[in-house]
Amino acid sequence: MTASPAPAPAPDPDEAQRAIEYCYEQGWSDGLPLVPASKPLVDQFLATTDKDPDEIIGSLEQVGRDCTVYLAAVNAAMAGCRPEYFPVVLAAFEALMRERAARGGGFQSTSGPAPLIVVNGPIRQQLGFNTAGGAFGPGFRPNMTIPRAIGLMVRNAFGIHPHVFEQATQGVPGRWSICVAENEEESPWQPLAADGGAGGGVSAVSATLTRTMEFVDNRHAPNPEDVLRDFQDTISRIGSQIFPKSAVALVLCPEHAQMFASAGLSKADVQNWLLERAGRTVGEFRRAGKAEVTSRRFGPPGAAGAGHDDGPPRPDEEFHPILSGPQSIPIIVAGAKNAAISMVVRIFGEWSGTSVPVGEKK
Amino acid sequence: MPNAILDPTGTVTTSAAKPATTRAPRRASLNGARVGLLINTKTNARPFLDEVGRLLTERFGVTVTKRTKTNFAVPEPDDIIKEMARESDVVVTGVGDCGSCSAAAAADGVVLEAAGVPVAVIVTDSFRATTDAMAALRGAPGYQYAVTAHPVAVLEEDQVKARAAQILDDVVALLTQQGNAGE
Repeated sequence: MTASPAPAPAPDPDEAQRAIEYCYEQGWSDGLPLVPASKPLVDQFLATTDKDPDEIIGSLEQVGRDCTVYLAAVNAAMAGCRPEYFPVVLAAFEALMRERAARGGGFQSTSGPAPLIVVNGPIRQQLGFNTAGGAFGPGFRPNMTIPRAIGLMVRNAFGIHPHVFEQATQGVPGRWSICVAENEEESPWQPLAADGGAGGGVSAVSATLTRTMEFVDNRHAPNPEDVLRDFQDTISRIGSQIFPKSAVALVLCPEHAQMFASAGLSKADVQNWLLERAGRTVGEFRRAGKAEVTSRRFGPPGAAGAGHDDGPPRPDEEFHPILSGPQSIPIIVAGAKNAAISMVVRIFGEWSGTSVPVGEKK
Repeated sequence: MPNAILDPTGTVTTSAAKPATTRAPRRASLNGARVGLLINTKTNARPFLDEVGRLLTERFGVTVTKRTKTNFAVPEPDDIIKEMARESDVVVTGVGDCGSCSAAAAADGVVLEAAGVPVAVIVTDSFRATTDAMAALRGAPGYQYAVTAHPVAVLEEDQVKARAAQILDDVVALLTQQGNAGE
C-alpha cells in the first residue's frame, strides 16, 4: 500500500475548451456546450443496462434513421448525464417513442413540440431528481440533462436539425428541458406511472409531446368547484386548438390536488368533470376564425373522417367538447406546497397512456 | 494516446436509405393521360388539387383518380404506392405546407418516380429546405418540384383556384420534360 495518494492534477481547462469547440464544429451541439464523450465514459453508461449496445431502441422511418443503445449512451454522456441516469434516459426514450406523434412527424413539426417527461418511484431520490419546488426547472442535473439527452438523440441519431428536417415556427419554450419528477410524497393520489400501468412504487417514466402550457393561478378560492371552473376556462381556450379533439395534461400543485382530494374527488372525478365541460360552442369557435375545428374537415393524421367534411353544418349554439376521454387528461402532481399554481400542458396528439419501468441491471 | 471524442450521429440505416434513384421517363404530352391526385388532407389541399385536375382535364383530356393520404406526416405505405403506379401515368401530390408533410410529399414523389411514374410534388415556398433534404436523403438530390407561395391554408376558394391555375404550367413541365435531376 502506498501512502496517501497525491492529489489528482486539476484538469487542463485549455484542453477541455478545445474538446468542447471540436464538438461544436462537428455540428453535434444543441447550442450549449457538450461534454466530449470518450469510450471509457460511454462504457460506464453501457454498463448500467443489460441491453446490447447495437439494439435499436427507436426508428424514424421517414428519414431512415435508427437510434441504438450505443448512440443513446454517447448522446446522454454529451448531454451531461451521469452514467447512472442512463436507464432513465432509455425508459424516457421508449416512452416517448410509444407516442404516435413522435414516430410520425412530431419532431419535424411546425409546432416544435417539447417532450414532457414524468419520473416516478424511488429512482427520484436515488438519482437526486428535484421533486419539490420549481418542478419545471432549472437547477437539478437529472431533470435538466435527461430531456437534453433526448433532444440530442433526435438531433444526432435521427438527424433532425433546425431549418432542415426540424421546421418549428417558434417552438415550445423549454423544449428538451422538461422533466418533472412527480411529488408523490404530497400527492393524494396514485402516481402517474400507476395510471400508466407500471404499478405503484415502481420507478418508471412516462412521456408525451406537448405544444404549449399555461398557469392556472387560483390561490384564494375556497371552493373546489370554482377552481375546477378556472381549469375549465384555461383548458377551453381556442388559441392552440387545431383539431376537433385535443388532450391536456394537468400538472397540479400539491395544494390544488389536496383540495380536490379533500372534497372527495378522485383523479377520475376531476377528469370526468373537465371532460364534460371543457370546450366552447360552435359559434365561439367560428367567431375566432376556427370553425374548422368543429368540422371534421381537418383531423389528426389517420383520424377517422380526417380530410372529409360530411354532414350538415352544426348550429352556433351547439357545444363542442374538446377532450376525447379520461386518457386525454393525464394528471400529475408536482411542485411545492407553497402556492396554488398549477399548469395546463397541451398535448401534441394524445398520451399513449403507458409508462415504462426503469430497467435494472440483472 | 488520448481517447478519441466519440461521434453521436447515426447513419442512414433503414430501408429509406436507397442509392440514387432514377427519375421516371417523362411523357411527350399529357394528352389522354391517367392522372393520380394524392391529396395530403392539409387545409385547401383538396380544392387546390381538384382544380389542378379539372384544368388538366380541360386542357389535355386526362382522366383523374383521387386518393387521400393515409397520414400526411409520413410517406405513403408501399402497397398504396404500387397501386398508384398501376393506376396512374402521372401523379400530382401536395400541398406540402408543414414540416412533416412537405418532406413526406418529397418522399412520395421520389418513390413513385423510382416506380416509373412522373410526379409533380407541390409545396409552399417556406418548406424548400426540408423538401430538398428529404429528396436528397431518398437518393434524389436536386429533385425538381413545383412551388407556390406560403400560406395556402388561409386562401378563399377563388384564390385557391387562382393558385392552381398559376402553378399549372410548372406542373405540366414537371410531368412532361426531363429536368436536371439524374443528368
